[in-house]
Amino acid sequence: MTDGVARKTGRWALLSPRTRKNLSVAGVVLTLILAWELYKLIWSSLGWIRPVRPDDVVMPHVWDMVIELFRPVRRGGNLLILDLLVRSLWTLREAVAGFVVGGLIGFGLGVLFVRSRLAERAFMPYVVASQTVPILAIAPMVVVWGGAIGLPQWMAVAVIAAYLTFFPVAINTLRGLRSPDPNSLELMRSYAADPSAVLWKLQVPSALPYIFTALKVSATAAIVGALIGELPAGFQNGLGRALLTFSQQFAVQSKKLYATVIICAAVGIFFVGMVTLAERKFVPHRETLEPEGEMLARASAGG
Amino acid sequence: MRVVDAKGVGKTFGTGSESVEALRDINLTIDPGEFISLIGPSGCGKSTLLRLVGDLTGPTSGELSINGKPASQARSNRDYGIVFQKATLLDWRTVKKNVELPLEIMDIEDSAAADEMLDLVQLGDFKEHYPWQLSGGMQQRVAIARALTFNPSLLLMDEPFGALDEMTREQMQQEVLRIWDETETTVVFVTHSIPEAVFLSTRIVVMSPRPGQISDVIETGLDHPRDVETRESPEYYRKVTEVREALRRQEGHG
Repeated sequence: MTDGVARKTGRWALLSPRTRKNLSVAGVVLTLILAWELYKLIWSSLGWIRPVRPDDVVMPHVWDMVIELFRPVRRGGNLLILDLLVRSLWTLREAVAGFVVGGLIGFGLGVLFVRSRLAERAFMPYVVASQTVPILAIAPMVVVWGGAIGLPQWMAVAVIAAYLTFFPVAINTLRGLRSPDPNSLELMRSYAADPSAVLWKLQVPSALPYIFTALKVSATAAIVGALIGELPAGFQNGLGRALLTFSQQFAVQSKKLYATVIICAAVGIFFVGMVTLAERKFVPHRETLEPEGEMLARASAGG
Repeated sequence: MRVVDAKGVGKTFGTGSESVEALRDINLTIDPGEFISLIGPSGCGKSTLLRLVGDLTGPTSGELSINGKPASQARSNRDYGIVFQKATLLDWRTVKKNVELPLEIMDIEDSAAADEMLDLVQLGDFKEHYPWQLSGGMQQRVAIARALTFNPSLLLMDEPFGALDEMTREQMQQEVLRIWDETETTVVFVTHSIPEAVFLSTRIVVMSPRPGQISDVIETGLDHPRDVETRESPEYYRKVTEVREALRRQEGHG
């Protein structure tokens, strides 16, 4: 018995970190599915209805949600999953456009604030205040104004995504630009470096880990912004509309709503995944190479 | 021409009742090629004096000229190489790229300079490594190479070996003397270690606290090159004792 456990942990340790991570994620997903189905099974066999009624409308089987994806949206229509994938592309376009614009604005504000205390004092309160206004209250206004100046609908939605994106990026950029060691700044001073050299050679590289943390938060926020923005825009093509339609038809087609939620989650995960890939590329990670570290220590002792 | 010429230099931080007088009436001249140590108890203003020389902060009274010009002018002319207690290397740059940083900023095209400096500090085999792959002593050697890569006339070192263990420390002192000998730079070196000051310096500036003042200037007069033998010679011990007594006299006064 103990032998078996030891062998198992041994094998687990032998797997690559990547495989271990993937297996853990799969484990979490499976556990959640299992919990959902167990709840359904136990509650319905005992006749319990609280906190949630375990019937097939409120809590459809997980496999039914997945099967629903491969049924036509309506009689003679496309498969639901195809419809949702097309919608995902629309929503992603709004989110990505808003994310890029919002990210650039956020970065620009961070740079402005680190350069000028005056600008920080003048504008920061408004930047913070902008985030205390509920997005749902602003979205219709943006859409109306966007229409008035002839902006395509998807761009108006992108503006809402940008609105949610810029804030975390601005705050974290500012923090990151202020993160270098004071001695590093003094060295720059001793080289008589001009401000732009200090910014690009020292401050921005130091800020990258902070900025990418913000971008990961913003990636999900941009998707939320796009979904929410689609509603008052009356935008027919995106995932937001699908969510709205299927939630109105919940009593008869709850499986469609759940299936859509799964696709929305997948879109969010995909977006964050892309940002994480970019982070791996641009932010060098300290690998802790124990064996080589020891080797170097020996080499230095010898030399 | 004097490398450093300070006449009646004082430095007070803050104003009014909150103000702290860090340095008072500092008179000091340093000639080219000297190795000067600033030593004293904490709060004696030795680091502040170094920072004044390097124009990292300005004096509140007196006159200070570096290579015959104001300190700010000397800084614009890139007369200073600075090494702090922390190596402060940039994590995202390789060792070689770190050493090339000042050259990039100064727009100096010299592809060989970094290699030469890394050979000088005996890290030629580690050019493509990243700082976090090196030991503390090696990182500090990279910092020294970086400070020298643009041939500054004055090397300022603020307790550069304070964070290193005793063995590495003695090795590094030997290295610094060799580099000083090979590059003929003038060095101002802040330390709180008496043996370190005696082993390295041509002259030792002993400072006393509250407010920071120069209490003694001691010529070491030990022969060059200095090595392990020097550390065991009677002259060395005599100088160590002399500096220690100079520091102890202050306690009597203070």
